[in-house]
Amino acid sequence: MSLDGINPELRQDFLTESSELLEQLDSDLVALETAAEGEQADRLNSVFRALHTIKGAASFLGIDPLIRFAHAAEDALNLLRRDRTHFTAEVMDALLQSVDVLRGQLDAMGQGEWPPEGPGALIETLKTIANGQPLAARLSKLQPADGAPGPDCDDAGLTAEDGDAVVPVAVPGDGAQAEPEVEDEAQAPSNGVTESYAPSEPLELPPQKLDLIEFMVADLHEQISGIHQALTEVAGHATRHEAGAALAETAADLHKTLSFFELDGLAALAEAVRNAGEKLPDIECEQVAGLVIRIEAVSWLIERQAEALSERRRLDWPLRTLQQRIETIAAGEQLDGAVAGVADVPMVLRVDGVLGEVASLPAEASQPSQAAQSAEAVEPEDGPYSPSDAVAGVIGGAGGGDAASTASPGAAGGGGPAAGTGNGGGAGGGGVEATIRVEVARLESLLNLVGQMVLAKNQLMAIGRRVAEQPVPQDLTETLAAANSDLDRLTGELQVNVMRARMQPLSKLFDRYPRVIRDLARSTEKKIRLDIEGKQTEVDKSVLELLADPLIHILRNSADHGIEGPAERRDAGKAEAGHIRLVAEHQGSHVRIAIEDDGRGINREVIAAKAVEKGLASADVVSQMSDEDVYRFIFAPGFSTAAQVSDLSGRGVGMDVVNSNVAKMNGQINIASRQGKGTTIEILIPLTVAIMPAMMVRIGAHMYAIPLQSIVEIVRPEDTIRGKVQGKPVMRLRDSVLPLVNMRAVLDEEGEGEGRFAVVVGVGGQRAGLAVDRLIGQQEVVIKPLDDADTQGGPFSGATIREDGDVSLILDIVQLIRTTQTESSASGTGPAAAA
Amino acid sequence: MTVTTDPAAPTSALSEKVETAATRTDGELLQLVSFKVGSEEFAIPILAVQEINRMMQITKVPKSPAFIEGVINLRGRIVPVMDLRKRFRLPAQESTNDSRIIVVEVGRRVIGFTVDRVNEVLRIDAGIVEPPPSMVCSAESDYVQGVGKLEDRLLILLSLERLFGDQELEQIDEVSREAA
Repeated sequence: MSLDGINPELRQDFLTESSELLEQLDSDLVALETAAEGEQADRLNSVFRALHTIKGAASFLGIDPLIRFAHAAEDALNLLRRDRTHFTAEVMDALLQSVDVLRGQLDAMGQGEWPPEGPGALIETLKTIANGQPLAARLSKLQPADGAPGPDCDDAGLTAEDGDAVVPVAVPGDGAQAEPEVEDEAQAPSNGVTESYAPSEPLELPPQKLDLIEFMVADLHEQISGIHQALTEVAGHATRHEAGAALAETAADLHKTLSFFELDGLAALAEAVRNAGEKLPDIECEQVAGLVIRIEAVSWLIERQAEALSERRRLDWPLRTLQQRIETIAAGEQLDGAVAGVADVPMVLRVDGVLGEVASLPAEASQPSQAAQSAEAVEPEDGPYSPSDAVAGVIGGAGGGDAASTASPGAAGGGGPAAGTGNGGGAGGGGVEATIRVEVARLESLLNLVGQMVLAKNQLMAIGRRVAEQPVPQDLTETLAAANSDLDRLTGELQVNVMRARMQPLSKLFDRYPRVIRDLARSTEKKIRLDIEGKQTEVDKSVLELLADPLIHILRNSADHGIEGPAERRDAGKAEAGHIRLVAEHQGSHVRIAIEDDGRGINREVIAAKAVEKGLASADVVSQMSDEDVYRFIFAPGFSTAAQVSDLSGRGVGMDVVNSNVAKMNGQINIASRQGKGTTIEILIPLTVAIMPAMMVRIGAHMYAIPLQSIVEIVRPEDTIRGKVQGKPVMRLRDSVLPLVNMRAVLDEEGEGEGRFAVVVGVGGQRAGLAVDRLIGQQEVVIKPLDDADTQGGPFSGATIREDGDVSLILDIVQLIRTTQTESSASGTGPAAAA
Repeated sequence: MTVTTDPAAPTSALSEKVETAATRTDGELLQLVSFKVGSEEFAIPILAVQEINRMMQITKVPKSPAFIEGVINLRGRIVPVMDLRKRFRLPAQESTNDSRIIVVEVGRRVIGFTVDRVNEVLRIDAGIVEPPPSMVCSAESDYVQGVGKLEDRLLILLSLERLFGDQELEQIDEVSREAA
């Protein structure tokens, strides 16, 4: 077998999507282990869904080894969904290993090879799980922290998933069965798990039909997209006639496929759609919208059923009202006002009684007049319907989750409240994609172009100002000024949007770490709790990539070296479970990421001794160093204090990546540690990497750019009181005294004394004044890397091109503030005595 | 001995003639750009040259090595510019109308350097290039790849790799110079 027969584009899509799903699987599995009982059902569903999607896509491409293995894992999961008592750390190990195997198979495909079969032993293990038999306890003393859930927890929506369970909530009116767990659905926007949308029962078909299911499901999907296509055409009025014909034709195909599955309700709906399609040219414009939205609802329902079919299940919805209304419109009759005006799929499904209401909604008929017109078609539910109904929004979130769950792994499982409350979810209810994939290279070139455009705009603005000073007709300068200001605004918006397109949440990285920590804790027989905060913080894609390695190394280091074993912690009077906190937050123009552990802390003496032994510094120098500077040795290449090399850390590689990558981002690292209490490593990185607003200043003979986001305020010369404290220049700003940096001296610029203006800058709570000669003004600057080896070393984070085409350097505020601190500690002895 | 000297912009007919002449010679043909810094004439392979610009505004970069004059805006790209006079430890001189910035690509590095004037594009037989006399072979002049003897003058062939390429070597260079 080979991959040659598969369309490379399809294969690439499959690989990208599946890899993302695997990431999600990984994080969901780990979260599952420690999740509260109420959340477990959602997590399980999310896990199952992801796995199922991968399997489905694999079978579409005919990648048998992957299908077989995914199937085994799916079976095991299926049992767990039904009976969560089987959860043990061993089962989790097996499942996590399965994820690794799948990843390996995908990797092989990525290299153009036919994926290997899954390892037999693991498949056997999975089968054992699927059969409900206990696994031989390998490391039985290590139970999941929260303990295995009790056998009686049937409260969290699993009842609806179990085919045998009967949903006891009845709805008045047309005997529709209620959606019992609407709230729960909101927590987990659904893709593949269909049971919760409607009561379902096993699909009973003759075996020869069952064999064909995969093909027929593919047909169904194809036909649905045909429907979507036709609906798009309906929207453009010019082709109503043809669109109607196309709609009718596709609906006829759908009818055949659905009849094949003996899905009579949906087949009848398809028939109604076909009929409506034929009548489309005759239908009045006002009614078309109501029809289109209902057809979208139909296709949404069919899609859910198609997914359920892959699991050999049939969904049972009350479809009669929906069908009747489609027929009503097709017959050229008017729907009642409120019913006709429904504008999105979830509402249609509710108004037409497909997704039933919870009985508590009173049928007090607050708008009785509207219900009068077509009494026989209107169900009792219609009365209390109101557009702001929260439940409709909730269902909308669930429908819209389709696109979200494939596009961003973070949103599907963990997105919980956000997905549920987002009313934008309704727009995606018809199965229309809310996201598309774009090649990174295209984004890069887009950003590059926008950058150049900003430069060109700046030059144009400068010309505009010069023209205004010339003796030219006033209307000309005014027109130019107006055009320029439009251009300015548009470029600004364009730039923000392009930048935003490149921003990605840190969850892309953070979601991997629970797994890392979990595995590490198990292999080192420690107990570690990892708390992650602020993972929705967004950073530029390039920043995300550069952060990946440093963070994992720091985390491993914290877990391996920082956190002590349970016994040692007990002796030290600490909780047995170590605690690592990973926090991300915005801080001015920077993103701050901190890794805090409550482990044993860094031992200054050990590090110092090692540094001397390695010849990194002499004993004298080290003894003079601040604690933090000593700690920094852990980032030196090849530096390791671990007595034993574990397979996780201790080889001395890794931590030096932290330093070099953070430096690449013009970032900064701070370390704080207390013996026996723990260590905090903090990384500050600039938020954006390409374009930013800056204040242009003159220092000596040259112009420099100061990032506007770092500027706290600018103080006029007459308002500053300057002096010296311990020989080092300071300025007084109201009640505080700040170090003052003589920028002319720092930049080797000519001129006597200090600059007159003080630009007060701040990063992460530390502030300093920069003495500059003149303020030029604010400008958008495009950051160009100053990455040539010969131009590095100065306090610059990059360069930019000014309006006049010349180059200005951008001051690196983090570095400048840092030098004031090291200077202050160094100059504490020398100049003070002189002064 | 074969020396063919093209005018800076050869007509196609002429260059064809030169080609035929070249193919008849035994050795490999070197295509060079020659330029003047101080009183010496230097040459570098034409293929390494990205462009030759008139002098433009050079923004100095504080805290960079002394021989780095600064950076320029090369159509939106920031490119460092080296002062070859400083690099060759020649006395500083104001730039003139003849001064040029030659931008070269060495490995993945794009760097410019200032020269007093650009002379010509020429082709010489590799056979006439001799290794630098051993006396000149010190740490300081190891960027001299060879010396080409033309009819009326000497041409110093520079090794761009040694001049700009290997940054580690360069640092060692620097350190040894500082030590001296």
